[in-house]
Amino acid sequence: MTELTLKINGEDVTADVETRLSLADFIRDHRRLTGTHLGCEHGVCGACTVLMNGEPVRSCITFAVVADGTEITTIEGFEDDDPMTLLRQAFHENHALQCGYCTPGMLVAARDIVTRLPDADEDRVRLELAGNLCRCTGYVGIVNAILSVIEKRRL
Amino acid sequence: MADGGTTEGKGIGARVLRKEDWRHLAGKAKFTGDFQRPGQKEMAFVRSEVAHARIVSVTKPAGFESSVFTAKDMPDMQPMRAPSKMPGYKGADYPALAIGKVRFVGEPVAVCIADTRAEAEDLAQATLVEFGELPAVVDMLAAKAGDAPLIHEDWGDNLVMETFADDDFGKIADRATVVVKREYRMARHAMNPMEGRAVFAEWDDRTDQLMMWTSTQVPHLIRTGLAQFLGLEQRQVRVIAPDVGGGFGCKALLQPEEVIAGWLTRHLEVPVRWIEDRREHLVTGANCREHHYFVTIHATPEGRILGLDCDVTIDAGAYSVYPFTNGLEGAMAHGNLPGPYDIEVYRCRTQTMTTNKPPLMPYRGVARPGVCYAMEMTIDALARDIGVEAHDIRTMSMVKQEQLPFMSIAKKHFDSGDYAKSVEMVVDMIGLDKIRSEQISANGEGRLVGVGMGSFVEQTAHGTSVFASWGVAMVPGYEQATVRLTPDGGLELRIGVQSHGQGMETSMAQMAYEVLGIDPSQVTVTHGDTGLTPYSTGTYASRSMVMAGGATARACRVLAERMEIIAAHLLQCERAEVTVRGGKIVSGKGEVSFAEIGRVWYLNPDELPDDVDQGGIEVTMGYRPEPDSGAFTYASHACKVAVDIDTGEVEVLDYAIVEDCGTMVNPMIVEGQTYGGATQGIGTALLEESTYDSFGNPGASTFADYMMPGATDAPHYRIDHMESPSPFTEYGIKGMGEGGTIPTPAAIGNAINDALKTIGAEVTETPFTPRRVRAAIAAANKNRQGDAA
Repeated sequence: MTELTLKINGEDVTADVETRLSLADFIRDHRRLTGTHLGCEHGVCGACTVLMNGEPVRSCITFAVVADGTEITTIEGFEDDDPMTLLRQAFHENHALQCGYCTPGMLVAARDIVTRLPDADEDRVRLELAGNLCRCTGYVGIVNAILSVIEKRRL
Repeated sequence: MADGGTTEGKGIGARVLRKEDWRHLAGKAKFTGDFQRPGQKEMAFVRSEVAHARIVSVTKPAGFESSVFTAKDMPDMQPMRAPSKMPGYKGADYPALAIGKVRFVGEPVAVCIADTRAEAEDLAQATLVEFGELPAVVDMLAAKAGDAPLIHEDWGDNLVMETFADDDFGKIADRATVVVKREYRMARHAMNPMEGRAVFAEWDDRTDQLMMWTSTQVPHLIRTGLAQFLGLEQRQVRVIAPDVGGGFGCKALLQPEEVIAGWLTRHLEVPVRWIEDRREHLVTGANCREHHYFVTIHATPEGRILGLDCDVTIDAGAYSVYPFTNGLEGAMAHGNLPGPYDIEVYRCRTQTMTTNKPPLMPYRGVARPGVCYAMEMTIDALARDIGVEAHDIRTMSMVKQEQLPFMSIAKKHFDSGDYAKSVEMVVDMIGLDKIRSEQISANGEGRLVGVGMGSFVEQTAHGTSVFASWGVAMVPGYEQATVRLTPDGGLELRIGVQSHGQGMETSMAQMAYEVLGIDPSQVTVTHGDTGLTPYSTGTYASRSMVMAGGATARACRVLAERMEIIAAHLLQCERAEVTVRGGKIVSGKGEVSFAEIGRVWYLNPDELPDDVDQGGIEVTMGYRPEPDSGAFTYASHACKVAVDIDTGEVEVLDYAIVEDCGTMVNPMIVEGQTYGGATQGIGTALLEESTYDSFGNPGASTFADYMMPGATDAPHYRIDHMESPSPFTEYGIKGMGEGGTIPTPAAIGNAINDALKTIGAEVTETPFTPRRVRAAIAAANKNRQGDAA
């Protein structure tokens, strides 16, 4: 067991964890933050994407102990976050989700795109989304939602 | 008489934003894997590592014998049995844990339980299975050989089922002087909903019930199956599908893991949970789409199709699945091959073969992506042969609008529409003429541009008579919906189907609005719970909006009548003077709110009239269309691709869709379903393949070797709608959840072959990977050199 100290969604957390425990399992099973989803558990689908010190990471292939001393933000931690508020509304208006399983990871990735690439066009948005799989929407609503937020943030 | 909505437009036809979105956007949805109880055990499986073998022995890890279970430890758990009355059908029982033999890689042999999944997986790894390997049958064509190994020894061969219809081609011989023959293959896939399968089970002593939360499309069927195979009464089983992260068919069947979880929690008296990981899904869920075709089209020199002759082989895997069996696809292929075409002569043989691969399951579109691909690709081959545009062959040969309703040669009862018009519209949308001139002016170096299309007609929401003719274990009947006015005038709507992305919490509320004028925000739609909803065979076959939507409309109408009786009394007027409109009951003398009705019925019944309906303000009504032969959706897709002749890479440059699903309840949802379906079709066409080696070992067990369509693979779709209401359904609605997947492989394959026509190359096997495209080009080059020599 290894002691782990980190911040999750602004809250200080200390825990003893097995070294083999993934950050995703720690978030979901130990912290009961089940908004972070597991779609492949091998770092391809992006459903488990969370922010670590502001950068998107795959929590399924990140050991919990690696997060020691970091700040983690999960989908539950964006309540007062302006880009996320815009994205949520845009995802709703653009029918960017169907089953909703990929949505939390998709939103975290989308937030990274709109904040990092204020000039991204459709091709660039699609390229940036290459690490997040959605089986339902054909990406139409997701791409439109992200582009609409980029546009809004320009104004 | 209720006349429903006002001009605000939240009923049929409105793009109402979805009620279910917010919990998902907030990360507050509840999927099966999110359930946790104190003392729960996690399950992990020991799965077969070989495709075909006798189980010689299973050695449990020392000290943990009581945490590892094989079929021998569960003698009262019955193998899953899915009967069929289809002539000659041989269905193999599917044991939840292997008994004596294993028949595919990934078949569950033992289950291990522990406090954490990691520990359960440790136990699974430490459990040793000794296999006595047998030769495997990996390919469906090889399975037919007289000396092929037998997968089920008592069968005497590997044939699950055969259908055959002969016809006399002499009738058209003098007119159908052009004969085009092709061979096609469609690869095996996995369905890959982003949430894999998952189950959480516990025994509730208070109600003496097995409680199972499971990621399913068909909770009532799961209950029926669990009771049957666990030896319980159905009242002792309650199945709840919470949020479900996509299904696409693989969650429309009872799964071994569900039966095992039910047994474990019942006998061990602890909650148990199993969450499929993606590797398990890719290995055990490689269960769909694998077909082989010989297709011969007989046509006039102008391209009018008169005859169709097909031999179809379907790879059904090792066992029969409950309740749909692994024979359904053969019947579907037989009935759908002629598509929307009006042909005179049809001969078809389908052979469904058992192999050492996971049991075949019905994936979105069910057989139709395969048959559409085989038919539509052959039509374009005919067009190239006789030098006409393929869309002319289509419009010339399709069933005409004025012929509808029309009994097709394969006995499908087409209801309404204008199939040829969808072709003309999509040809226009894709800009065929412009692409043709582009092709002429192109210098041909490097990238070749091609255009192709695919059309289909799809039976949706087919009912009792159709399923009864297939003789499967469950036949859908009258679909029911329950509506209940709450004491404060809100509406509870309970449906037995299950929504896992289709947005039914919104579209069913729109249906209630259409009749009652109640705002969708005041309607709670409950689904996916056998304890709370009417029995239903569930969500599959593009049936929910037609069936449960129709039942909802009927229940709302009866509720309206009952409210009108109470309102007339309160307003002291005649019943004929009141009507439900805009979410209240109105008359010339005033109006009564739904809340007032609720108050009187529940809290102040002293104010009720004597002639009140004693059934109250809760109504269950059943519905099935008449006739129940199905509402036929159709569409034409066209696309423009670029093929790199050096690398074999295909890029989809443009994609146009014209679809007709009758009356659209929510066009936003219709479009979302169509885009999503088409993107799965792009996966079928270009990317997705569950490969096997000659021993039956799967070669695609991660997303690194099983390619899923991503945002860069999906084109920027353009869509247009036609709206031909079905004359047989409530409001003329037709089902549309599956159609997007159906013509995509054909459209893309045809576009590739159009691009390659100057080289004389054709692709004939999905997915059209760079390797296959290059092989087709190399074969054409070799042919030409052979001709030259």
